Amino acid sequence: MTTMMLTALIAKDFKGYFANRFFALVTVLSLVAFTGLYFLLPKTVDETLALGLVLAGAPPALEAELSNADEVRIARFATSEELQAAILAGDLPVGFVFPDDLAAQLQAGTQPQVALFLAPDVPPEFVSIYEVALQEFVFLILGQELPIEVTETVLGPDMAGAQIAPRQRMLPLLVVFILMVECLGLASLIASEVEGGTIRALLVTPLTMRGLFLAKGIFGSLFAFAQAALLLLLTGGLATQPLLNLLALLAGATMVTGVAFLIASVGRDLMSVMGWGILAMLLLALPTLSLLIPGLTSNWMRLIPSHYLVDTLFRTLNFEAGWREVGANLLVLLAYAAVLMTIGTLTLQRRFR
Amino acid sequence: MPIPSIIAEQLVYRYGSLLAVDQISFQVASGEIFGFLGPNGAGKSTTVKMLTGQLRPQAGQITILGIDVARHPKRMQARIGVCFELTNLYETMSGAENLHLFARLFGVRSFDADALLRRVGLDGRGKDKVEGYSKGMKQRLMIARALVNQPDVLFLDEPTEGLDPTSAQAIRHVIREEQMRGATIFLTTHDMHEADLLCDRVAFLDRGTIVALDTPHTLKQQYGQRMVYVEVLAPDGTLQRREIMLDRADTPAEVAALLQGEQVVTLHSAEATLEDIFIRITGRGLAS
Repeated sequence: MTTMMLTALIAKDFKGYFANRFFALVTVLSLVAFTGLYFLLPKTVDETLALGLVLAGAPPALEAELSNADEVRIARFATSEELQAAILAGDLPVGFVFPDDLAAQLQAGTQPQVALFLAPDVPPEFVSIYEVALQEFVFLILGQELPIEVTETVLGPDMAGAQIAPRQRMLPLLVVFILMVECLGLASLIASEVEGGTIRALLVTPLTMRGLFLAKGIFGSLFAFAQAALLLLLTGGLATQPLLNLLALLAGATMVTGVAFLIASVGRDLMSVMGWGILAMLLLALPTLSLLIPGLTSNWMRLIPSHYLVDTLFRTLNFEAGWREVGANLLVLLAYAAVLMTIGTLTLQRRFR
Repeated sequence: MPIPSIIAEQLVYRYGSLLAVDQISFQVASGEIFGFLGPNGAGKSTTVKMLTGQLRPQAGQITILGIDVARHPKRMQARIGVCFELTNLYETMSGAENLHLFARLFGVRSFDADALLRRVGLDGRGKDKVEGYSKGMKQRLMIARALVNQPDVLFLDEPTEGLDPTSAQAIRHVIREEQMRGATIFLTTHDMHEADLLCDRVAFLDRGTIVALDTPHTLKQQYGQRMVYVEVLAPDGTLQRREIMLDRADTPAEVAALLQGEQVVTLHSAEATLEDIFIRITGRGLAS
């Protein structure tokens, strides 16, 4: 396998990829659309503290105090059920429900129970803040600290750790999607070469099967990597930990190239490649759902290779995680990329033989 | 016989329980055009796949240009050219781009695609995408692709199948040019007429075995029957056809009687075709 052969094959695949108008269009459109989508999504998080309150018989002075608060928006509800419904509807992140006989309980010297209802995406560290806020609130009502018992209830799935701007949350998902678009394109390209018999023509030259797959692997990985890197570059994703993110993308691109080989080995034509490709895309996109809905994160999701790409990007892009924090992720991702590439290559070689 | 370019010894290949190639052996001399003839399913393509290194024989040995194909397939493939039966070009690339790609795969550094395209009658069409070519043009480009490395052995699988007479003639011309250059040509076909026109020797393949192998002339001598076809004008004014077998003791007398007693309109001799001989040897036609 000479450099001349390698470059000839890569140039041929590049031309072949863009000769397919569908994939050429999808490649350009997805990059533009995903970049546009990123910028269309909100870039800030609302910092106003909003909370719901069920408190019967609050004194007028307290009402005035509550309405004058600048950074606290309090919504009053008549019943606990109404407050819970508002939280579930996404109107409020948190709500307190005081017992109707609060004054009587305090007079009797018993410990009142205050219910704290939380939306699923309230980060765990915020719960204690709300508890402190509740104590302050009780102090405001009664003018003194009193022991109260707080019961916490998370409504819906627990989405801990979600105070991230939506577009930052979406970015790893967009990266996975753009990698999968390239994966489908490559799988289709290979399937069309098998279907058209051009592979046979290539293999009666000095080109070896190993050389052919090396060229396809390099083309697929670099092309997918370039697309994903461009997306991160355009969205500012390379501003922090660029090397780490680029390495993660390269591993991810290699991984999807292996998946493309697998798809091409089972797909007989464009339609079957699409069918298998969409299945793979859904599977690989699953871990990104855990970013959108943190409560969905399950241990089994860690079996999906893309989890380690998504998790790495999510943590570096949003929490400034470094090599130490995501190093293990990267290692697993690289191992998955190597395994999938090996399996994909062997399976595809078997088909050619 | 000159030094053989191709030596096939006791080749065997099975697809499951189907014995496609059954212990065939032959040699092709350097610079020879060798026709490999037989009906569909006779084992021609399987044999060519083994010769070109696409399939590994389950038994037997192949030596091409002195190279053991099983041990050094890539070394052998660097010196051969293969033109497939079915078109397998990169349709979205131009004709010249197709040729340049394969030239680079063969490591040919100074390559003149235009000259090669001109040789196969595609001058001026090199920049056009292959998807816009006619079937004949594609076939000519396939031939050109097989020639990019100036191969010592050229494998051609049904090179003129389904082509118009002009395209077929152009391809035959290139084949003869390659022979003049010194290349060995291995021509697979079920077109007996084409084999007769081009081949120095032919092998008849039937059900995985070689049933006859010689020059077309010798085969005709050995198996064919020469005939004289005569058209005479009958008393009622209609043309009647008579056939007289040559090479028999009474043939001269029969011809003389015909010339004296009948009004002869046309008279010509004809020898058996390769197809006639194939049918005679195998008992079945090429279409079966």
